[in-house]
Amino acid sequence: MTFSWSRVAALARKDAAELIRNPGAIIPAVLMVFGSLFPAFLILVITPRLTGETLEESGAFAEGAAAAVGLIPELAGLSGNARAQGFMFHQFSLLLLLVPVVGALSLATHAVIGERQSKALEPLLSTPISTVELLAAKTLTPFAFALTLTWMAVAIYLLGAAVFAEPGVFTSVAGVRLLVMFVILGPLVELAALLVSVIVSSRATDPRSAQQISALLILPITGVFVAQLMGVVTVGTGGMLVAALGCLVVNGALLWVGVRVFQRASILMRWR
Amino acid sequence: MVIAEQLTRTFGNHVAVRDVTFSVKAGEIVTLLGPNGAGKTTTMRMLAGLIPPSAGRIRINQIELSDATAGLARNAVGLLTEAPGLWERLSVRTNLLTYARLQGVENPEQRVADALSLVDVADRDSDTAGTLSKGLKQRVAIARALLHTPPVLLLDEPTSGLDPASARQVRDLIRAMRLDGRAVLVSTHNLAEAEELSDRIGILKTQLLALDTPAALRGTKDSGRVVIELEGTAEPLEIAIADLSEIPGIVARLVGGGARIIRITPDRRSLEDVYLDLVGVDQ
Repeated sequence: MTFSWSRVAALARKDAAELIRNPGAIIPAVLMVFGSLFPAFLILVITPRLTGETLEESGAFAEGAAAAVGLIPELAGLSGNARAQGFMFHQFSLLLLLVPVVGALSLATHAVIGERQSKALEPLLSTPISTVELLAAKTLTPFAFALTLTWMAVAIYLLGAAVFAEPGVFTSVAGVRLLVMFVILGPLVELAALLVSVIVSSRATDPRSAQQISALLILPITGVFVAQLMGVVTVGTGGMLVAALGCLVVNGALLWVGVRVFQRASILMRWR
Repeated sequence: MVIAEQLTRTFGNHVAVRDVTFSVKAGEIVTLLGPNGAGKTTTMRMLAGLIPPSAGRIRINQIELSDATAGLARNAVGLLTEAPGLWERLSVRTNLLTYARLQGVENPEQRVADALSLVDVADRDSDTAGTLSKGLKQRVAIARALLHTPPVLLLDEPTSGLDPASARQVRDLIRAMRLDGRAVLVSTHNLAEAEELSDRIGILKTQLLALDTPAALRGTKDSGRVVIELEGTAEPLEIAIADLSEIPGIVARLVGGGARIIRITPDRRSLEDVYLDLVGVDQ
């Protein structure tokens, strides 16, 4: 049978209707939005106001900002406290990449495990839907939801930069680097998280172990973020593009694996 | 409509179904009876194109089941799973509309309304599926199986866990499906239900141990005795016979000896006796 977008749309629409009625799936993803925004605003806005000391005055941030200008050219037009703020806004923006990953994991796991919990998998698989269509449908809704949440988080982040930071910081942050991070790299990282989540769910006998294995994807992002904070690396626009290219290759491989392991008999016997 | 030939399915070293052959004609209800783990659900899943057989052939509505034709064959089958499997957060209508779209039926809204009317649940179409009773959920699941008007229906434990009134409603629906000319294959543990519903019964325990009409299944298993009630005696006589043709001679001897016979009954065994003989008393 040929691939049918109408079948994919029918199931994705159902998944969306179920997700909206399932706070247990949405809340972790929404909490991640606030969880990823809070550290940035704590350090960039709240702490300076409480201590009365600007980021520039704290020394380390200003040095880091000066060193990062080569990799993040958007900082070149800034000076003093504005440059330190711009640098830190760029640094913390990486944390927002956790939103598509955690959102995708939480939403995809519910989209997959929900079928098992409601014992709906067997009747669903008895329809003409192909496993590729099922894979596409189970990926589409969480992808759209998590991407929307990510872009909402980025919008709040930029709004924060516009309202609380010094003049010029907003235009420095809302530049090519952020665009590459959340329009190219973010969706690719999210797709990888979704595919891993669905693949692991289709093979694991226990849903919790599926979630735990999938959650390992958070580690590389957290690792790069911590390395950035420690001054070990600074990921510029070029680095983002290289990461996006790597993600593209990984997604191709994951898709190849996903289509092969996402077989009717296999998921029917395992998703019980 | 449904032809299964020498179906075998193994899971690792475990043989779930071995060498099972049977058919279901249009307008016929065939029931698979068997204990837990006998292979009933595995057989249903193979026929529904959900899992491939390890060996053997399946034809559904003239379609030879294979990887290439499984999608087409699934369009010809309506499957009722043991659990209703409804999306409990969604309304009854949304549940069925999703399936109607997945099945590619024309005018899905109308088809959903028709199917719900058929199972007498039209007035609950806006209710969230999770709020329905088990009997109502099962009727909605039957409506779901009928949405695409399949010529073949596979009903796995259709009355399992239902109260007597709901179970009767479901049985009435199954009879109506036979009248519509569909081929209906039912799996159940319920002997009385199998006897009441079925044109033929298959007794399955990994292998198909017997397949015949309920009357023939009972008839093939005479107990080898005749029960004779006599006037003036409290307990009936039970006489062992090798063949029913011995009865006239026995009657003649009793009457010749002055006995007055009230009733003579060949001791035919119940379907339960036949079933337990075949699958083993420990089941």
